[in-house]
Amino acid sequence: MDAFHVLMLKLFVHPRAYFVLISCRWAYLEAGVEKIMTDLRGGMDMKTYMGLYTAIHNFCTAQKAVAGTNFSNHNNRGGAHLLGEDLYQHLIEYLKNHLAGVQTRSKEHVDEALLTFYIKEWNRYTTAGQYNNHLFRYLNRHWVKREMDEGKKNIYDIYTLHLVRWKEDMFIGTQESVMRSVLKLVEKQRNGETIEQSHIKSVVDSFVSLGLDESDSSKSTLDVYKEYFERPFLKATSEYYDNESKQFLAENSVVEYMKKAEARLDEEKERVPLYLLSEIMSPLMRTCEESLITKHSSALREEFQVLLDHDKQEDLGRMYKLLARIPEGLDPLRNRFETHVRKAGLAAVEKVAQEGDNLEPKVYVEALLGVHTQYQDLVNRAFNGESEFVRSLDNACREFVNRNKICKSGSNKSPELLAKYTDQLLKKSSSKMTEEDDMEKLLTQIMTVFKYIEDKDVFQKFYSRMLAKRLVQTTSASDDAETSMISKLKEACGFEYTNKLQRMFQDMQISKDLNTAYRDWLSTTYDEKEIKNNVDATYHILGTGFWPLNPPTTPFTPPQLIVKTYERFATFYNAKHQGRKLTWLWQLCKGEMKANYLKVLNSKVAPTFQVSTYQMAILLLFNDNDTVTYDEMVEGTKLGKETLDPSISVFIKAKVLTAQPENAKPESGVSYKLNHGFKTKKIKTNLNIGIKSEQKQEVEDTHKTIEEDRKLLVQSAIVRIMKSRKKMRHQQLVSETIQQIKNRFMPRVGDIKKCIDILLEKEYLERLEGDELGYLA
Amino acid sequence: MATSTEAPKTVTLTTSDNADIQVEREVAERSILIKNLLEDLGGDSNEAIPIPNVNEAVMKKVLEWCEQHRKDPPASQDDDSDSRKKSTDIDEWDQKFMQVDQEMLFEIILAANYLDIKALLDVGCKTVANMIKGKSPDEIRKTFNIQNDFTPEEEDQIRRENEWAEDR
Repeated sequence: MDAFHVLMLKLFVHPRAYFVLISCRWAYLEAGVEKIMTDLRGGMDMKTYMGLYTAIHNFCTAQKAVAGTNFSNHNNRGGAHLLGEDLYQHLIEYLKNHLAGVQTRSKEHVDEALLTFYIKEWNRYTTAGQYNNHLFRYLNRHWVKREMDEGKKNIYDIYTLHLVRWKEDMFIGTQESVMRSVLKLVEKQRNGETIEQSHIKSVVDSFVSLGLDESDSSKSTLDVYKEYFERPFLKATSEYYDNESKQFLAENSVVEYMKKAEARLDEEKERVPLYLLSEIMSPLMRTCEESLITKHSSALREEFQVLLDHDKQEDLGRMYKLLARIPEGLDPLRNRFETHVRKAGLAAVEKVAQEGDNLEPKVYVEALLGVHTQYQDLVNRAFNGESEFVRSLDNACREFVNRNKICKSGSNKSPELLAKYTDQLLKKSSSKMTEEDDMEKLLTQIMTVFKYIEDKDVFQKFYSRMLAKRLVQTTSASDDAETSMISKLKEACGFEYTNKLQRMFQDMQISKDLNTAYRDWLSTTYDEKEIKNNVDATYHILGTGFWPLNPPTTPFTPPQLIVKTYERFATFYNAKHQGRKLTWLWQLCKGEMKANYLKVLNSKVAPTFQVSTYQMAILLLFNDNDTVTYDEMVEGTKLGKETLDPSISVFIKAKVLTAQPENAKPESGVSYKLNHGFKTKKIKTNLNIGIKSEQKQEVEDTHKTIEEDRKLLVQSAIVRIMKSRKKMRHQQLVSETIQQIKNRFMPRVGDIKKCIDILLEKEYLERLEGDELGYLA
Repeated sequence: MATSTEAPKTVTLTTSDNADIQVEREVAERSILIKNLLEDLGGDSNEAIPIPNVNEAVMKKVLEWCEQHRKDPPASQDDDSDSRKKSTDIDEWDQKFMQVDQEMLFEIILAANYLDIKALLDVGCKTVANMIKGKSPDEIRKTFNIQNDFTPEEEDQIRRENEWAEDR
């Protein structure tokens, strides 16, 4: 009802008046209210209802006759004001008295009986309150509204007034005992007893209803609930679990305790929707976590190492889940986990390192992988694959992959062994068990280790050398596997990293086509007889820049037969590509020779020897003479001693040649005789056996070139940076350079400085003022 | 819920002069008083509802209005829209409805106030407001038959205080 209505009613009130004594009126009203309060069940008829409503209406409007319209009083509501207030005050008095009675009766009850009583009284009282609110609606609409519009404090609509009175005259005095009973019930339930949950729910609801916003009675707040229910509830919860956990831990293992804590947390979570307000969820969980986890976090963490040592995945998972609930609960675990994995990795390497130099690359890589797999599995299963733990795992793996006992004996050992293992996988092997799927899996595992390798350039070096060998010697198991590996490396390190590898692959393809073209050319240029007289040969043309191959280290005069053959090819090739220089890599060439002076056992076929070109040159000497001296061999082949001697040894060992005198070391004065009594069951005999010392030499060479290449890599990085920046401080340039090449290897600052000096000398760079460097185009 | 064939529920209202008026419950419930009463007492009984403050003639008039406005959306609890409060526009039907003698107009207003029918109270008050609009105090007194009981001093004071509202 707004002021406009009031004005209208006031001005034009009908002369009918209601002269009734107010005291009589209240006595009548009080009887009605009393009936509503105490005997609503007894029913109420329409006449009484309407009578009460009308009485209140008339009570409020009576002033019109009493006070009249008196304009001399500017705030001209005196009558209505007083009458409304009178009624309001009477009601307050009544409610106070009524509630005092209720409160007195409540003292007769304790525990569950008290709850039953409280809830019953609450329900009765609030139902009556709603009735009264309707009956006093006229007061609500006029007097109460006006008072509230004027900003009067402590004036409420009639229903809210009921709540306010309950809160003041009943709640304040009883809430403590009520809460005590509630908490007792909850404790009973926590102890495993069945309780009447609906009691608690009703109490919660009633406490919530009492949350009135002081500034706006139409809104409600959770203040009362929070203060009188939530706070003591949480306090009791905290006390309960403080005690329980302390006692439980004193009598049980940490592992058992974690199960208990987990169960308790689940239980509390389930408790909320049963009879609590959903708002309590997060403070309740925090309280439980504080008591159950935070207060025992150090005990839990102590157990972490034990669980790790015994690989108790399930318990570790439980611990993770518990500690993940509290802030910064996991950080100490991550550190311990990292240390543990690193130690496990180092121990695994230590174990395989006992084999010394004979360490199989496969064994080493599998040792690394084993540790990684185990702990990755743990991270995924127990730690939910959480990224921070993944990082700890990565840190630990990087540490033990790059710095372990094996690496101590020779730097860059990890990438070297990994590359060798890869080579073993990709090589044709006698056991053809590696199915495509398995191969793919193995290659993926290699990439797992590769990811941790810091000196990726070392891996690249070794890998490309071994790839070159596989390609040239056609010992590669499968093109698919090779391309798969290269694309994996490309994915990990980029195009530049695998560029040369890919070019090598391409060269092989081009060579294949070239050989076909050569054969066509031969058949059109020469007649059949001439072709037959020649050695049937295949050629690989390998781009110098891409292949990690060196020209032969030994002088060599190839046999005339071979010279004629390759000169013919050279003619063909030069015609096709003018101005290209062909360098023959004799050390990589090989061939087959038929020993027509022999027969394979039980057969009429002459055996075939597979030999290197050098060996071929030696054996061809025996075409002219059955006995050839050492000096004649040197003369005929021009081979250096370090190549010639091992080649001869292979023949002696295989009994293709016999030395005279017997067992003599290859040197001047010794002569060799073709062994006509050579016996073999095999049609093909492989005499092209790699020479050990050569292999070792190769590894050393590889390491040497790595150092050289690194210098170039650093220099080119510096130049690239300076080219784009033009000017830069020394310190900044160094850190930028590290940034650029750290995914290949970790450069030392000293080396970078050396490279800068080299570039200054070469006048790529110049010194400017301060410690700035400038780029010279 | 209720099918259209089902006879609408009715209630009986007993006026101050003891006349029984049968009316559809939906119509009667335009009065918040009656609505609350039926809800509180579970108006399934056939007991007549006594309306001790309203006589038959006024009640019928009020129910006529309720019938017309039975489908109006219920007024929002507190503040109805400002426009309705401020403007003195009245819809055509209501204007015609309010063309009654002054006595009846006031009875309607009082009944609407008593029965808690806010929209009808609004219409009644607006009608009165339109009767005042543009009239001098003397004309107003004349229209509503009001005696001037101000002393000249009082009247002067009121004039000064309300100067801001004068038309210029």
